[in-house]
Amino acid sequence: MKKEIKVGFLGNPNCGKTTLFNAFTGAKLKVANWPGVTVEKKEGEAKYKDWTIKLIDLPGIYSLSSYSIEEKVSRNCILNDEVDVIINVVDAAALERNLYLTLQLLELGKPVVMALNMMDIIEERGMEIDLHRMPEVLGNIPVVPVSARKRTGLDVLLHAVVHHYQEESEEYSLKYSQEIENEISKIKSKLVKFHEDIVNPRWHAIKLLEGDEEVKEKYADILKNDSIIDYEKKIINEKYNYIEDMIQEVLFNKESKSAFTDKVDEVLTHKIWGIPIFLGIMGIVFFLTFFIGDLLKGRVEILIGWFSDFINNYLISIGAANWLKSMIVDGIIAGVGGILTFLPNIFILFLALALLEDSGYMARVAYIMDGIMGKAGLSGKAFLPMVLGFGCSVPAVMATRSLENERDRKKTILLTPFMSCSAKLPIYILFANMFFKEHAMLVAFSLYVWGVVIAVILALIIGKVDKIKNSNTLLIELPEYKQPNVRTIGIYVWNKIEDYLTKAGTTIFIASIIMWFILNFNMNGMTEDVTSSFGAMLGKGFGVILAPAGLGMWQVAVALIAGLSAKEVVVSSFYVLFGIGSVSEAAGYSQLILDLNQIGFGAVNAYSLMIFSLLYTPCIATIATIKKESNSLRYTVGVVLLQLFVAWLISVIFYQTGRILF
Amino acid sequence: MKISEGKIHVNYNVVELQLDPVIRRRLEALGITEGSRIQILNKKRNGAFIIKTRGTRWAIGKQISEGIICREEKNEKGN
Repeated sequence: MKKEIKVGFLGNPNCGKTTLFNAFTGAKLKVANWPGVTVEKKEGEAKYKDWTIKLIDLPGIYSLSSYSIEEKVSRNCILNDEVDVIINVVDAAALERNLYLTLQLLELGKPVVMALNMMDIIEERGMEIDLHRMPEVLGNIPVVPVSARKRTGLDVLLHAVVHHYQEESEEYSLKYSQEIENEISKIKSKLVKFHEDIVNPRWHAIKLLEGDEEVKEKYADILKNDSIIDYEKKIINEKYNYIEDMIQEVLFNKESKSAFTDKVDEVLTHKIWGIPIFLGIMGIVFFLTFFIGDLLKGRVEILIGWFSDFINNYLISIGAANWLKSMIVDGIIAGVGGILTFLPNIFILFLALALLEDSGYMARVAYIMDGIMGKAGLSGKAFLPMVLGFGCSVPAVMATRSLENERDRKKTILLTPFMSCSAKLPIYILFANMFFKEHAMLVAFSLYVWGVVIAVILALIIGKVDKIKNSNTLLIELPEYKQPNVRTIGIYVWNKIEDYLTKAGTTIFIASIIMWFILNFNMNGMTEDVTSSFGAMLGKGFGVILAPAGLGMWQVAVALIAGLSAKEVVVSSFYVLFGIGSVSEAAGYSQLILDLNQIGFGAVNAYSLMIFSLLYTPCIATIATIKKESNSLRYTVGVVLLQLFVAWLISVIFYQTGRILF
Repeated sequence: MKISEGKIHVNYNVVELQLDPVIRRRLEALGITEGSRIQILNKKRNGAFIIKTRGTRWAIGKQISEGIICREEKNEKGN
């Protein structure tokens, strides 16, 4: 017989479920120090003796009531009977809050094993938890101290899961006051009478008393003749009263050393300095990305230049056909190789973002930006997806799931792609360096600022148009600050680098070949005259629309259209378009500047191009994510058209103003 | 009084939550129940607050901070 147990990780947000899941399964799911990192269900597997343990990582929840999409994912997984055993991951450092969910889980009647995580923090703070008393007050469930980060207690936890699954454990649930218990009994007997096959009638009775919408709908017949008074408040109060008593029994030296976070917060969330500090931090992130990234970029350029020459010479030596040599050297190596040279910048950017996310600062940004976002009709929490958007729009759009309000969510999804994602970075680096020399860094940074400013202005305009008053219901947990973890940072950065390399090997690879093809072929076959190629025809058509923005040259129009596949493709297309096979800075850049100047493309055009690239429709992957998350084709098409229009309008304004001024 | 009128580093006890039922229920599930203790850690001019309750810090917006009715806890400052 196959010995298999399905186990779900459940716990409050940011208590270490994903770290534990990664430790068991060897997966490399993203972990960070802010609530709401995990927004979807993930499955994995672990072995314990002859048992196969199917593990399910779930978004964090504070209670079994569901408010946002991510919380519904977790609740449905547990209620739809998808798991045999629940591992309730508990942040020992925030025991009082975590135990509320524990009491709710125990009421479900499923085997629960508690993984008491972050015990190291408890020790550091000089606190103590009575591990003998703890199971006694929780109906003798196994309580296993673990450290997800240090990977201790893992085998003991699996042992407890298997053991608890096999043994016939007594169902335990909190005993309420007589008044509530009487009500529970009444409803319970009705439930059993009218629904003979009901599993765990006590839990359903409690949920009916709490006025749980889903349960109420399912058992509407029970309520028909007997309207039930909403006991939710009393039930919650009694649970917390029990927890308070329990804390007295199990937790010692409470909060003797937790002042560090408060002290740091006094500075970082200061009412005046909060925003300047945030901007300063983002400035440092950008400086490191641009400056240190560029230092390393030179080395990679030399390496790829050398590789390109080597392949070229090799192809000549074996007498390869001209078209093949052209496709490989001028198409693939120019395009993909050109993009690979930006790898150091991308690495530094994500390293800095990872440090920021793992330190605990991210959640504070929601508080700091609450005022500005409030003016734009959004809560500060909507700024988090926007910060994530500096990395990549796809996870950023998904992160909007943590916003409770659907209207805020759609608005945030619309604004997030205006942030300067990592794919836009190569565009800034290339054009800022070519046309603005010693001011390159400042010019590139201005694009980051413009992205945020334009997003906020647009939010303000939408707020004015839809006239619905902002409810400003910011509510977010602020975790303790902690030293970033090397392993967590490693996983984060490696995932991003892997994505970038995959993109270079797939999307950019294919886009480079297509670009090479449309530039070298026309209706009559292969052509030497690029101006009669398919690409030129396409570019000339779209160039008419882009001309007021100073982007009417057919080559630029083609590159921008190609950029819809992925924003890096704008850069790879330029390399292919102008045949910059050798991307080593001196030769490649000066050749490219010369070529661009010849077609009347100067500094003002370059800035307009950067603005257009910043704002126009995100890549196909983001569009697909927007469609998936909004579940509306109409909304998705609307977003795409609006972004195209905004990009066109703003770049026209910049170009026309710039032309007069410079 | 409303918690939005409170002072930094002072402890308050929740008297009532005058909020939209959905938000009220959410806060209660987080342990912001009648009688629970709230300490204000930081506040902004726009009405956003950082509070600490049951060992956890929360950032709350203006609408929530104006809906938490509380009274100052006697004879105790900080925690």
